[in-house]
Amino acid sequence: MEYVNPLTGFRVDGRRPNEMRQLKGEVGVVARADGSALFEMGNTRVIAAVYGPREIQNRGQQVNSNEALVRCEYRMAEFSTGDRRRKPKGDRRSTEISLVIRQTMEASILTHLMPRSQIDIFVQVLQADGGTRSACINAATLALADAGIPMRDIVTSCSAGYLCSTPLLDLNYIEDSAGGPDVTVGILTKMDKVTLLQMDAKLPMDTFENVMELAIEGCKAIATYIREVLLENTKRLECQRG
Amino acid sequence: MVALSEGEKHFIRGGIEQDIRTDGRRRLQFRALSVETGVIPQANGSARVRLGGTEIITSVKAELGKPSILHPDQGKVSIFVDCSPTAEPMFEGRGSEELSAELSVALQRCLLGGKSGAGAAIDLSSLIVVEGKVCWDLYIDGLVISSDGNLLDALAAAIKVALSDTGIPKVNVSLSAASDEEPEVDVSDEEFLQFDTSSVPVIITLTKVGRHYIIDATSEEESQMSSAVSVSVNRHGQICGLTKRGGAGLDPSVIFDMISVAKHVSQQFMSLLDSEIAAAEAEAAE
Repeated sequence: MEYVNPLTGFRVDGRRPNEMRQLKGEVGVVARADGSALFEMGNTRVIAAVYGPREIQNRGQQVNSNEALVRCEYRMAEFSTGDRRRKPKGDRRSTEISLVIRQTMEASILTHLMPRSQIDIFVQVLQADGGTRSACINAATLALADAGIPMRDIVTSCSAGYLCSTPLLDLNYIEDSAGGPDVTVGILTKMDKVTLLQMDAKLPMDTFENVMELAIEGCKAIATYIREVLLENTKRLECQRG
Repeated sequence: MVALSEGEKHFIRGGIEQDIRTDGRRRLQFRALSVETGVIPQANGSARVRLGGTEIITSVKAELGKPSILHPDQGKVSIFVDCSPTAEPMFEGRGSEELSAELSVALQRCLLGGKSGAGAAIDLSSLIVVEGKVCWDLYIDGLVISSDGNLLDALAAAIKVALSDTGIPKVNVSLSAASDEEPEVDVSDEEFLQFDTSSVPVIITLTKVGRHYIIDATSEEESQMSSAVSVSVNRHGQICGLTKRGGAGLDPSVIFDMISVAKHVSQQFMSLLDSEIAAAEAEAAE
């Protein structure tokens, strides 16, 4: 299958190789959560809710009493995928993604400021069209910021792939299931540090560099957008205060 | 979980007694309702319903399947509810299973009628494509995004909205000569059939706090309830299902009283919902 049109250079959904899908972020979508956000990357749509910092619910989980405990659960809605299938809760894929999100977010949260407390991050996928991992991390960042949890920096994530000898930014479901390499990168934008890097399939070293560079560019673009959303929200709150 | 001090408990109870609740509502008044359709483009129909702090997303998906042997002239409808941990940290892992199952069963009871399919809100025979061979399987999924009490009423309302948004693709069947062969089915992706949702009921839950009962309770108010009765009523004022929750017993005369109140409230709620659906559809059409 042609994933990049050889004549026009456009992708299956009409994007250019280095073009991202439409982003949409909204803060404060869950009324009762301490912080929450909706994040959309094209048709991929996720909701993140943050509860905490609060008292540790289960003392057995506490590892280090000088730092906050960060927990994360990733869940897909029954209707999120194209064909409806009932999956058991806590399947291996969800567990793995929960772990990845937790580790990525933990890297940016200033956990030492909140000893003996716990922060819960719940991400719920409403629609999956590739790049759910990245969308979840971006949503979690927005939700954590909404909850007012101290963070080192904004973590953003974006994926990139390599199909038809072209590096492609922000793969959708069709491109993701094409079997080519899929590089997911998460970075701390201001500090310019990589906190998440995953790749499947194989790729020559020099191509990998290009693809990763592209994904980092994507992350930076998302970070700019997330800052805009947060700024807009802060302005709105300021207005409300009068 | 709601943690309330003695003072807060007293305040909530006293307010209900005096017909002014903590958010300024009267006993038989709903919170602000907002409705949005077509939120899940991948589904045949979907809706997002907000009732105060409670938020529900429902989707309706139709798949071609085989009718059951017992009812070859009927399609199948199943309802599942899932409570997302975004609504309440308690729902993480398997924590939501019990509540999800309770809500699913209550909705099935109110919307799907008896085992034979008689009295169902959705005309099951309209889902048949070829009798005994092909029918539509309708999957209704409810997802609780945010929970602030009165989940059942909000879910039922969301299902009603999602069904009114649902379009079932038109199917052309080319019947082969041999009757035991599988019929060839051609699903149109341009023509859609709308559902008749006029007989889909709404659910009104009356929560009894002290001597009085209230509608559309928040989770703080629900924590103070002694018992609750959920009545599902259709457009003609007929009762389609009834569920009582909570430990305390109720006098039969009180139940009859509650049912008549629920009937009265349901007609108001139904017309409110209808106007919201019309507004949401007009917005989606633009």
